[in-house]
Amino acid sequence: MPRATEGGPSDASGRRTGRSRKVSQRMAVVSETDREQVTNARLAALETDGGLQDNFGADSDAEFELQDSDQEAELGDQRNKRKRKANRQASRKTRARAGEVRGHKAFAVLLEEADLDPDDTQPNYLTAAMGPPLDGTPRRWCSVCGFAAPYSCARCRMRYCTRKCYAVHCDTRCLKFTV
Amino acid sequence: MAPSASGQVVVLDDGGSTIKVGLAGQSDPARILPNATGKVKGGPQLLIGDDIDAQADISSLSIRRPIEKGYVVNWKAQAQIIDRACRGVLPHSTKGCSMLLTEPLFTLPAIQEARCQAVFETLGCQALLTLPAPLLALTQHCAEVPNLPASRAHCGVVVDAGFSFTHVVPIFDGKVMKSAVRRIDLGGKALTNYLTELVSYRSMDMREEAYLMEHIKNAISFVSTDLKADLVKAKTSSKLKVEYVLPDGLSLARGFVREPVPLAKGETRTEQVLVLNNERFLVPELIFSPSDIGLQQAGLPQMVADSVMATHPDLWPLLFSNVVVCGGLATCPDFQERLLKDLRPLVPDHIKVDVWKPKDPIAAAWQGGSRVGASAQFAHLAMTKADYEEDGIR
Repeated sequence: MPRATEGGPSDASGRRTGRSRKVSQRMAVVSETDREQVTNARLAALETDGGLQDNFGADSDAEFELQDSDQEAELGDQRNKRKRKANRQASRKTRARAGEVRGHKAFAVLLEEADLDPDDTQPNYLTAAMGPPLDGTPRRWCSVCGFAAPYSCARCRMRYCTRKCYAVHCDTRCLKFTV
Repeated sequence: MAPSASGQVVVLDDGGSTIKVGLAGQSDPARILPNATGKVKGGPQLLIGDDIDAQADISSLSIRRPIEKGYVVNWKAQAQIIDRACRGVLPHSTKGCSMLLTEPLFTLPAIQEARCQAVFETLGCQALLTLPAPLLALTQHCAEVPNLPASRAHCGVVVDAGFSFTHVVPIFDGKVMKSAVRRIDLGGKALTNYLTELVSYRSMDMREEAYLMEHIKNAISFVSTDLKADLVKAKTSSKLKVEYVLPDGLSLARGFVREPVPLAKGETRTEQVLVLNNERFLVPELIFSPSDIGLQQAGLPQMVADSVMATHPDLWPLLFSNVVVCGGLATCPDFQERLLKDLRPLVPDHIKVDVWKPKDPIAAAWQGGSRVGASAQFAHLAMTKADYEEDGIR
């Protein structure tokens, strides 16, 4: 058990008081870099296929491709079971290699391999990206109800509009994100 | 070497959400099917393209798309979908036919290589022509409004607000001015996921129902032409509130939108309902202001202005007079009006600004492709299988 010894607010038994626990949680502020990471993770999540939870599911991309054995079945080719079984066994042996052949590269990987120059005089994928907005102040929407939000949470800087929404925010979202 | 004109020309608009397919020369795409493969949760069967639409119960449908950030990364799956799409359009298979395929601007060479391999080797096509979709959409628009001075010059700015990203593409004399093209990495897919995130937090967990959310978004969203007024309206009244009745998988296979039905005292709902209010217009609002979710890119109106002003000043009046919106998001109500309203203050006073919408913004690129595919131009521009085998990609 970690003990608060060096001048920390502790009672005789060495246990941290309720007050200190409360205060320390109040003071926990999410750093600018962490907040940026959270924003980027969220933007990346918006680009995923098939739902926001799917990424953590057991479905692998390979299930979404027609395999050769499926293709035979689709064409109405009624091979006997033994042959299909043999096929399956063979594919199990060569699974590692098959995965290599089957797997496609993500766009980010392809982009990196293309080695484009963002300052190139010839236009390319990177130079076509739109720059930041001219009017520097972004609009702020309440993270709970979606209307204009004049306030931001002191701990995590998420926006809220009223005390009511702030209470909901504290109960549900504040400091609960995972990167 | 010019290819022989034998073999039919099949035109494919390979969009992030749907793939449009038909024979060149026709007025409308023969088939529009989801550009995806899917599975029902727990089901063993793989669904390709139109199988997804044929599915009676679209809840718990999980899908994968071959296109990521607008570019085809999985050509194996894409070839299967194309093969499926061409069935019913072509008498036999894609073997021996010529193909006109849309391809996004700035496609990476590695992807182009995989594309050629898929088209010539897997699908066995005889000739291939790839053109950017915005160029074809402008071709269609110019044919629809032929009397416009800019149309005669085959000149204009295409705002392609699709599923994967949004491009602003200035075109002069039928050529894309590549150095002035602008892109934001926001499209229909990101908006759907954003809506999913919002409703999952506010009312009901819909994170498993990506395909259903796509339908809900299309059914309920609109672009606000006066954001301040709409926000007040949403906050103080229930004029903008709608209910989406979710499919229950038994009696109701597809959901629908309805006006809010107040519950009498003591009565309980038998159906599941998703109530939507300010989400209806704050979701499409992202395209006009991506900084709302922390994306450090300018919104669509500034993009159009920035793009045109990167060209020669003599072209500005011609380009601004012919801004064409196409793609799935352009069908969102009031998209065109809002763009015009926000673009006007960014353009010098003496220049006339006009925003156009083709009759069918989603099929516009295909229709333009159909015109090109049926013209003599096709044979001149296309790369034949022999060319490919000789030189690889050009």
